[in-house]
Amino acid sequence: MTDAIAGKAAAPAKRRVRRASSDRPWTFYVLAGFFAFYVIALYGPMISIYILSFQDVRGGLVFPMRGFSLHWFNELIMQTRTGDVSGSFRRSIYLAIAVTVITVVFSFMAGMAFRRRFRGDTIVFYLMIGSLVAPGLVLGIGIGLGFDMAGIPTNWFTSALGAQLSWTLPFGILIMFAVMSRLNGDWEEAARDLGASPAQTIRLVILPILAPGLIAVALFGFTLSYDEFARTLQTAGAQNTLPLEIWSMTLNVTSPALYALGTVSTVISFLIIGVSLGSIILLQRRNAARMNISE
Amino acid sequence: MKLNRNAVGWLNVSPLLAVMVPFFIVPIIVVFIASIMQTDGFGGMFWDPSLENYSYIFKSDLTYRLYFETVKFAVLTLVFSAFIGFWVAHFLVFHVRSKLLAMGLFLVCTVPFWTSNIIRMISWIPLLGKEGLINRALIAMGAIQEPLEFLLYSDFAVVVAYVHQLTIFMIVPIFNSMARIDKRVVEAAVDAGASKFDIMRYIIVPMSKSGIALGAIFVVSIVMGDFFVVKVMSGGGTASVVGAFYEDIGVLQYPSAAASAIILTILVMLMVAAILRIVDIRKEITQ
Amino acid sequence: MGTGNGDIELAGVTKSYDGETYAVDGINLKIPDGAYCCLLGPSGCGKSTILRMIAGHEDPTHGEILIGGEDVVGLDPVQRRTAMMFQSYALFPHLSVRDNIAFALRVRGLSKTERYGKADEMMEKVHLTEFANRLPSQLSGGQQQRVALARAAITEPRVLLLDEPLSALDEHLRIRMRAELSRMQRDLGITFIHVTHTQMEAIALADTVVVMDRGEIRQAGPAREVYASPNNRYVAEFIGGQNVLSGKVGDVNGSKATLAGPTFSNIEIPLLAGTPLHSGQSLDIAIRRDDIDLLRLGGNGVPPGSTGVEGAVTGVEYQGTFVKVMMDAAGEGEFVAYVPERRFFEDTLSVGDRVLAVWQIDHAHLLA
Repeated sequence: MTDAIAGKAAAPAKRRVRRASSDRPWTFYVLAGFFAFYVIALYGPMISIYILSFQDVRGGLVFPMRGFSLHWFNELIMQTRTGDVSGSFRRSIYLAIAVTVITVVFSFMAGMAFRRRFRGDTIVFYLMIGSLVAPGLVLGIGIGLGFDMAGIPTNWFTSALGAQLSWTLPFGILIMFAVMSRLNGDWEEAARDLGASPAQTIRLVILPILAPGLIAVALFGFTLSYDEFARTLQTAGAQNTLPLEIWSMTLNVTSPALYALGTVSTVISFLIIGVSLGSIILLQRRNAARMNISE
Repeated sequence: MKLNRNAVGWLNVSPLLAVMVPFFIVPIIVVFIASIMQTDGFGGMFWDPSLENYSYIFKSDLTYRLYFETVKFAVLTLVFSAFIGFWVAHFLVFHVRSKLLAMGLFLVCTVPFWTSNIIRMISWIPLLGKEGLINRALIAMGAIQEPLEFLLYSDFAVVVAYVHQLTIFMIVPIFNSMARIDKRVVEAAVDAGASKFDIMRYIIVPMSKSGIALGAIFVVSIVMGDFFVVKVMSGGGTASVVGAFYEDIGVLQYPSAAASAIILTILVMLMVAAILRIVDIRKEITQ
Repeated sequence: MGTGNGDIELAGVTKSYDGETYAVDGINLKIPDGAYCCLLGPSGCGKSTILRMIAGHEDPTHGEILIGGEDVVGLDPVQRRTAMMFQSYALFPHLSVRDNIAFALRVRGLSKTERYGKADEMMEKVHLTEFANRLPSQLSGGQQQRVALARAAITEPRVLLLDEPLSALDEHLRIRMRAELSRMQRDLGITFIHVTHTQMEAIALADTVVVMDRGEIRQAGPAREVYASPNNRYVAEFIGGQNVLSGKVGDVNGSKATLAGPTFSNIEIPLLAGTPLHSGQSLDIAIRRDDIDLLRLGGNGVPPGSTGVEGAVTGVEYQGTFVKVMMDAAGEGEFVAYVPERRFFEDTLSVGDRVLAVWQIDHAHLLA
């Protein structure tokens, strides 16, 4: 009887002791391990091909590393066996910039529209979801055939632009939804109360407050376009974009030049993201500095 | 005096519609029209509307096999990416105490998204291949004598590549909805005597289901509409719905490709509609 | 800018969102220029809707809103020369205190030096100068409130509209900011309309208190009148400080009448010229809680000129300057006496004690 009571009393005490030595629950360590495994699986393969792209002429598609040189990058630029890599790079970047600008502006407008209910908003919403989930190649074929029927040649800056927007816009709008749920209607009313016109309210209040969200939409738009494949395949016309170029390489090229292309494309996307994020941080720093000076 | 609310709404979505109509509605109609036309056998089409292309597809055993394979990949990818995405987001939101660190780790998860999907896919080749790192390591450890063949150019490789590419589409929306859960609700549940499992069942899963649903929509629609990963990673051993009609296009069989495309589109829309029926995504994300 | 006449008249103002139910139902109200007016009522009574209609953020379904004698329905807030302070303050999170305050001048196209000059003057007035370059998120609740006030005041409005301005503050700060609001109103000399659901706030600040319920005005008048002589049971109960007794009028003879209810009988009630009473009619009366004396049973009984009810003490709450004694004398409603602290502790009552609650007959107040 007394033993049982003592046992019961001891149990919580023991637990407290264990807690004191580490106040993290055991689930933390399991999940931390899981997370680490995920990150390794996420980055490991990519890093391995970046490494393999620096082999010399004897290099193959698998480890071990054979020599160290920029041979395969040279090969890429010389375009001995590959297609028009630098041209497709340029086109992809121009296209991504156009898609980004249009996506940001149109998503912002649509996001503003969806803040209030209007007649038919549900139809527009489901239209947008439809466009998001429709198989890319199906839309690509439809656009290609449609342009064909209308007698307009498909081109990366016309049909492919539209095809990519049919995918980046719903994405951008979904992000705007999440961003705008934090936009308080009082701010607009306060601006109006203080005499701001609708245009001034947007320029001086809404846009600055939403700036981080709009940057997120821009980065998404850029990446989705720069990497778009299925919708572009049948709509890019005679000249390839970069993913199409990489695709044709994967089917034809079995040398580390493919990896070199992967390295270059990654470096370029990081450069673009880095420059845009960097300039934003710089702008914010300057604003902060200006405030400190006037203080 | 003031513009009507409906007019303002329509005005603001008009640029969106200016894209959606010519690049979503019209193409779908075009594909549908093509699907009821007939091929002249020389890459051209002629107008003789019938549902023959459809009945041909439904009669073919190949169709059912293709759909089975494609849906199988969609479901497998969905299960694995949702599992990984849920626990990664859970770890970041509920276990990492510093907000800054959680944000930093979240960014670590999203960085690969900014790189090419195709490159990320082929990057598995040096790892999974017959002479790849994993086989070499296993042989060196003495775990196996012969290299494992199923690692690359197999269904396994296809699922690995999909999960690698698409888990991010799960992590971001689940992270987003979990981050909005008030931590005090969890504390209140602990005070009320809820176990870890109860908290998961009654609080965290229900409150993050909009994120899971949104992620599921992305994953299902992308896998169902893809043919490239299957083509490369299965080594040609497995076909996919889209891959099949892409080959039809390659030989200019537009009408049968179009019929197949319409069936696939309807199937994807139905799958998405089923997800939307479970969770009212619009209400959840705009609240 | 001239001071402009900030007197406000609402004539038959109605607001309905769905055409069936009325958030605001036929309001008629006059507020003189330079008055401090509080709209008081529970949430959903339509007080904020009235404020927003005066501000021009919503249009009435019917009726006229006159400011300085001019119908302003359909005009922009700026044309009305009203300014609103939002419950959330709605400070622009990306702008410094100075830029928030100067916002109205910026959209009017004033140069940077001009608008900063005026903003700095205003910041001086509300003691914000040292915070000029802070962002709203770096300020305390009270400071944010001052910024909101300064931002609204810089437009030189003739009417300042305040939507629950103190609700986000803690008790201590609320009382300090109350005094601040009162001072601001005297300094600016303009009409303030202040929406609140807190009775004490309304009574402390307002020249005119407007008590509302379900889209209608239940009583409007000076604070003391509304507090001391409520017109009806709703106002008496909502403003508080009153005990309401319901019963039927007994005998009416000459200068005396009595009231009988379920838990009491023969309470004497005053007879007023102009309000004839009939034997048998239902009647509510109100007696201020601080007009009630508690006597132990078996003493001298009810003093002359007074009347009373008997009941048991159900609760005692110490309030500092007085003691709140709750009794079961009013049937289902609560019956409370505020006993001065010293007097209470001369003869401490405890729960369960039976006492006689008495008041002077003419202190009772007949409700419509």
